[in-house]
Amino acid sequence: MGSDVTKLERVDLFAAKPGRGDRIFFGFAGLAAYFSFSIVFLVFIFLSWRSASTFQEQGLAFITGSTWSAESGTFQILPMIVGSLVLVFLALIVAVPSSIAMAYFIEFMAPKRVARLTTNIIDLLAAMPSIVIALWGAFIFTPVAAEWGKLLNHYFGSVPIFQNDVDNYYRSPFIGGWILAIMMIPIITSVSREVMSRVDKELINSAYALGATRFSAMRRVVIPTARGGILGGILLGVGRGLGETIAILYTINLIFHVNIFRILENRGGAVAPMIASFYGEADEKSISALLAAGVVLFGATLLVNMIATYIVMRSEKKMAS
Amino acid sequence: MTIQTLDRAPITRPKSATPWRRNSATKRISIVLAGTLPLVITIFTAQYFLLPGATALLTVFIPLQLVASALAAIKVGGRRGIPDAILTVVVLSLVSLVVIVLGSVLFNLARKGSHAISRQFLFYNSTYVTSSTSLDYGGVAHAVIGTFLIVGLAAVVTIPLGIGTGVFLTETRSRMRGPVRFISQAMSGLPSIVSGLFIFSFFAVAGFSVRGGWLGSLALLLLMLPTIARLSEEVLKLVPQDLRAAAMALGAPRNRAFFQVIFPAARSGMITAVLLGLARIVGETAPLLMTTVPTNGTNYNPFSGQISTLPTFIYKWIGAGSDFSVQRAWGAALVLMILVGTIFVLARIFGKQKF
Repeated sequence: MGSDVTKLERVDLFAAKPGRGDRIFFGFAGLAAYFSFSIVFLVFIFLSWRSASTFQEQGLAFITGSTWSAESGTFQILPMIVGSLVLVFLALIVAVPSSIAMAYFIEFMAPKRVARLTTNIIDLLAAMPSIVIALWGAFIFTPVAAEWGKLLNHYFGSVPIFQNDVDNYYRSPFIGGWILAIMMIPIITSVSREVMSRVDKELINSAYALGATRFSAMRRVVIPTARGGILGGILLGVGRGLGETIAILYTINLIFHVNIFRILENRGGAVAPMIASFYGEADEKSISALLAAGVVLFGATLLVNMIATYIVMRSEKKMAS
Repeated sequence: MTIQTLDRAPITRPKSATPWRRNSATKRISIVLAGTLPLVITIFTAQYFLLPGATALLTVFIPLQLVASALAAIKVGGRRGIPDAILTVVVLSLVSLVVIVLGSVLFNLARKGSHAISRQFLFYNSTYVTSSTSLDYGGVAHAVIGTFLIVGLAAVVTIPLGIGTGVFLTETRSRMRGPVRFISQAMSGLPSIVSGLFIFSFFAVAGFSVRGGWLGSLALLLLMLPTIARLSEEVLKLVPQDLRAAAMALGAPRNRAFFQVIFPAARSGMITAVLLGLARIVGETAPLLMTTVPTNGTNYNPFSGQISTLPTFIYKWIGAGSDFSVQRAWGAALVLMILVGTIFVLARIFGKQKF
C-alpha cells in the first residue's frame, strides 16, 4: 500500500514573486536593521582608529598609571577608572535595595492605584534629564550630603573609609555615589518589576496557602524565581552608571590621584565626566587620549550591557516557558 | 474486616487562626501606637537635640519604627509576624526615600525656576546677556528653538530607521533577527558621551567642520535609535497574528498589509515608542557639548553656525557662577522639565489605548 503513494512534485508555495513594493519595503527594513546592527562596530572601529596613537605611545600605562599632563604628553587614567568603580559600588549599595523594594512594593504590596502612581514616578525619574539632576545635586543635595558626611566622620571617624584629612566634605565620591544611585534606580526597578510581574501568581498563592508569610514568600518564591532578571537589571544599571556624565561632573572633584577608601574626601574620579571636562580646551594629542578613554569606557559599558542583555533575555525565555 | 481507628488528638486551633474575627481592642491599639509613637518620639528628640530633619529620620525614626512594628507584629500575628513587619517597614521607607528624592527635585525646580520665569524669559533670546546681567533681560527662546530643531532633525531620521528595525524584527524571518535584537538592546546602554565622541572622530576625519547643530542631531540619533527600535518591536509583536493572516488571505502584498492593517492597529503604541525616544534625548547634554557651540543669539539653521539648546544653555550658565546665571540655569531647567513632562504625559495618554 505504501508503494502506491505517488511522490508529489516540489510545489512552490508562493503564488507570485514579491512585487516591487514589497522589495522596497523589506529592503528598507533590512537596511535600517543592519544600520542599527553595524553602528556599534562603526563606533568601536572609529574610536579605536583615532586613538591608536595614544595606545601606542602610552602602552599599558594608559590604564595603570595615574599622571595626566598635556605638557609632558603623559596620559594615564587609572584614578578615573578606579573612581568610576568606587562610585558605581557606592551607588549600588543604595540603589539595589531601593530598587528591589520599589519593585516589590509596586508588584505585591501597593493597591492598584498607588502601584500605578509609583510606576509613573519611576518612569518620570527615568526620563529626568541628567542636567536637571546635576543642578539639583550641585545646589540642593551637596550641602545636605556634606552634612551627612561630617556626621559620619564625627561618629565613625576611626573607621578608615570615613577618615577625612582635608576637612572638605564637598564634591566627594560619597555624594557622587548618591547621585549615581538616583540615576540607576529607575532602570533597575523597571527591569526587576518586569521580572517580578512574571513570577507565577499560582506559585505565590500556593506558598501563602502553605502558611507562608509575606517575608517567607518573598525570600523563598519571588527572589529565587526573579533572581536572574534582577541581576540583569543591576548590570544594566551598572552600565548606565559607568556612562553617566553631567550629573557626576557637577558633584565630584576629578583628581588624578588614586583614591579608593577615603570616600568622604573631595578627591574622586570617573571616566565619562573626565572626558567632558577636558574636552573643551584639549589639543590634538589630548583629544586622542580622550578618545582612548572613550574606547575604554565604551568597551566596558558594552561588555556589561551585553552580559546584562543576555541574562535578561535568558530569564525572560525561561519564565515564558 | 477491621475498622482502623485513628488515634489522634483533635487538632487544636491556633489562637491567631480566627480570620473572621475583627482585631481585638488591644491589637488595634498596638497597631495605632506602632504607627504613631516613633514619629512623635522622633519629632521631640529632633526638637530637643536640634537634629536636622534627614539625620533625625535616619538615626531615630527608622530604627524606632522597626522595633515598634516588630513589637506590634508580635502582638497581632505572633513571632512569625516579625519578618513581615520589618519587611514592610524597610520597603516602605526605601520607597519613600525615592519618592522624597523625586519630590525634592521637582519642588526645588518649581521653586527656584519660577523666580526666573517670566514672559520675557520665555520669548526673548540672550543676546548681550552676561553673567552679571539681571534676570530682567534675556531669555531662553533661542535655546528652546535650538532644542526643537536639533531634536526634530534627529527624530525625522531616527523614526523611520527605528520603525524599520522593528519591522525587520517582527515581519521577516531573517536569520539576523537574533543578533540585530541583541546588539540593539545592548546599544541602548551606549554612554551619551561616547556617541558625542564618535560623531566627533567620524566627521573630523572626513574633514567636515567639527561642530554644528546637525552633528548634534546625529549624536542624538545613536541614542534614540535603540529605544525606538526596541519599543516598536514590542508594539508590533502585540498585533495579533490573525490580522496578518487575514490581510494576506485577502491577497494584500506584505507592504500593504503592513501599512493598511498592522501599522494602524499598532499606531498608538508606535506614537508612545516615538515619544519615549524623544524623552530620552531631549535632555541629553554630553553629546551636544561635544558637537555644538552654544550662542546667545537665535539660529534657525541647524546646518550652519552656532546653535544653543536648553541643556547646553543650562550647562553654560551653571559654569558662569554668579547668582543671576545660576537662577537662569534653574529657569531653563524648569522649561526643560516642562518639555519632558509634556512628552511624558502624552506618552502615557497614547500608551493607555491598548487593544
